[in-house]
Amino acid sequence: MASVVLQASDVLVGYGGAPVCAPASFRLAPGKALALVGANGSGKSTLLRAVLGLLEPMGGTLRVLGEAPDERAAAFRTRVCGVLDDDAWFPALTVREHLYLTARGHGVLGANDVVTGLLEEFGLEQEQHALPVALSSGQRRRLLLAAGFARPRDLLVLDEPEQRLDRAMRDHLASRLIDEKAAGGAVLLATHDGDLVQQVADRAVFVSDEAVEVLTPAAAAARIAREPR
Amino acid sequence: MSHLELGEVPTAREIRRFTVLAGNARGGAGIGAVVNDAAYAVSCAVITAVLAIGAVGQLRESLPRTPAPPGSLSLAAVAVSALVAAAGATLGLAARLGPVGLGGPEAAWWLPLPVDRRPLLRRPARRLPIVAAVVGLLLVGFVALGVLGDDPGAAVATAIAAGATGAVLVLAAGLAQSAGRRRPARAAGDAVVAAAPVLALALAVSGAGSSSSWALPWWVAVVAVVLAGAAAFALDARLDRLGTPTLRAGGSVVTQAAGALVSFDSRELGRALTDAGTPARRRRSAALRTVRGPVSALVTADLVVLRRSSWHVVQLVGTALVPVLATRVPQLAGVGGVLVAVLVAGFAATTATAEGARRAEASPALDRLLPLDARSVRQARMVVPWLAMTAWSVPVFVAVGMWAHDVAGFLALGLVAVPVWAAGAVRAAYRPAPNWDGPLVATPAGALPGGLAGVLARGPDVVVLGLLPLWVALGLRTVTPTMLLLQAVAATIAVAVGSSTSTRTLLERIAGEPTTDAGGRP
Repeated sequence: MASVVLQASDVLVGYGGAPVCAPASFRLAPGKALALVGANGSGKSTLLRAVLGLLEPMGGTLRVLGEAPDERAAAFRTRVCGVLDDDAWFPALTVREHLYLTARGHGVLGANDVVTGLLEEFGLEQEQHALPVALSSGQRRRLLLAAGFARPRDLLVLDEPEQRLDRAMRDHLASRLIDEKAAGGAVLLATHDGDLVQQVADRAVFVSDEAVEVLTPAAAAARIAREPR
Repeated sequence: MSHLELGEVPTAREIRRFTVLAGNARGGAGIGAVVNDAAYAVSCAVITAVLAIGAVGQLRESLPRTPAPPGSLSLAAVAVSALVAAAGATLGLAARLGPVGLGGPEAAWWLPLPVDRRPLLRRPARRLPIVAAVVGLLLVGFVALGVLGDDPGAAVATAIAAGATGAVLVLAAGLAQSAGRRRPARAAGDAVVAAAPVLALALAVSGAGSSSSWALPWWVAVVAVVLAGAAAFALDARLDRLGTPTLRAGGSVVTQAAGALVSFDSRELGRALTDAGTPARRRRSAALRTVRGPVSALVTADLVVLRRSSWHVVQLVGTALVPVLATRVPQLAGVGGVLVAVLVAGFAATTATAEGARRAEASPALDRLLPLDARSVRQARMVVPWLAMTAWSVPVFVAVGMWAHDVAGFLALGLVAVPVWAAGAVRAAYRPAPNWDGPLVATPAGALPGGLAGVLARGPDVVVLGLLPLWVALGLRTVTPTMLLLQAVAATIAVAVGSSTSTRTLLERIAGEPTTDAGGRP
């Protein structure tokens, strides 16, 4: 296991040649969590996309598990899991089948049992045979999160995972991420939830177009509290 | 970090099979229904093909057998120029569509899996090249055999060469996609389309365009097929270089374009293909210095939209050359040929000028911010089509005037008729969504909703009826003061119709059905 899962040095990200935030430098070790915080449009999700290999950085050096991120490599896809705000579903596949496809597709043994456990954990056992179109937006979010835990990973990347979740599920998500760290996994999340940052993150990075600062979780939560509502 | 026990990763074939079988299990269609649908589709395709063959044969018989004198163009030279344009359009379209892509669900749930991407993408990578090959084969086969009446052997060789070339062009776009060079491929396709009318003019000027047969020898077909095979092999080897963003973008465009085709929504189709090439960011925003009020704001916005869409400018220039060429081809230079060339090219040009109106129809919120009623908005949106079609009309009607030996008369008539084009463009841009509630009408190509034709005719109806004095003048090859006066009156009526907010069709108005007007706001 590498001592550093994620290393960013003056990484510049953007679209069409224009950066969306200041150069960012941060690192993430196994068993740790790093939170990206900042206003809407500050570049948090763009940084996550670069870490997931979905966007070429415009500058700087980015290493994920010791390599430049390349989602075209099967080994990268096995070790790095991204849960973005994707709202795309196979219209004829049930909730259970989506999770089974993810688990089985990654070669998980006993995929059916794993899926049954996740359905229960994320409160989807009643909807396991429903098509995603019949779910509420919060239930669809839970399905996406469950899919993230149905597969192997060394780095878990989450984009605003608290969105559309009720309080109880947010708390459950926090404890799940704490377990993830305890098991040696690394977590990188972009969030607007100060409580989640304080519960889960070991460090935080405040992202803006002027400067990218590394903060303590408490300081990051205080910044979030000052964000315009 | 997970404590999941891992075994062997399934193959791409197993992933695809699981998804298809799970979906089919609740698809609700038995084997009988599938066979029935397939038989229906095949019979419709056969009837359509038979009708097309008959129409092409009739067209060939009706064309005058006039040899092309020096300085003019033969029908074969026009066909070659059209095929060059079609080749460019194929390359540009393929680059806009991906051509390799996966739909949203496949991209979201298949691509993160650690399965080999090459077999996963093989099927979507083959789809468009095969479609291009079949379309090229049939289209060129019809033209070579049906219209040009070439020797059957040579016509078959030409058709095979065209089909293989179509596949090569799509595969080339795929190779460009795998190298992250979609935009240059798109630009190259657009440049070839723009070059096609220039090629036709060059053929006419150089005297090389009078040859009556352009059939290709067999060896060209063989080379084209070998090239297609090599390109297919090269693309297959590079499929694993395609990343999720480009696959997802391609799939998204294909899904949007396919939805537009199925729902007969040409505006949505245009948006899907235009947006595929639009950069996400501009170097700077336009200063919009000409904005003085709400009307000038709309006009300025439409001008900016037209200026930023290089494809529409190419379309405008290219369509202006079509009637010019029609007057130079002996077989087309009759009244019917010139009239059809002016009508079709003119309407294609107007659609290029009304992009602003089409955008506004799709997202009317911006128009609602301005203190203008819906009628005034439509009238303001006619200004840019008016200006653009004025520029388009000058070369077109000078050529038509030379053909009819009355340049001044036809130029004057063409300029008086410009508001009709503008009204037709805006009326088409603001047409309501097709009405799918009406009864189906059986046609040889399958059942179609009855309300569809009424909606699709909005825009072309104003052009066809509003230009009646022009059509009469073309038929008589002369322009009289009365025709000019009648055309001016028709243009005034066309502007009134084009700025109307009523969504009822002409038949509904006659039947006195309740109004579904959009009201005082757009």
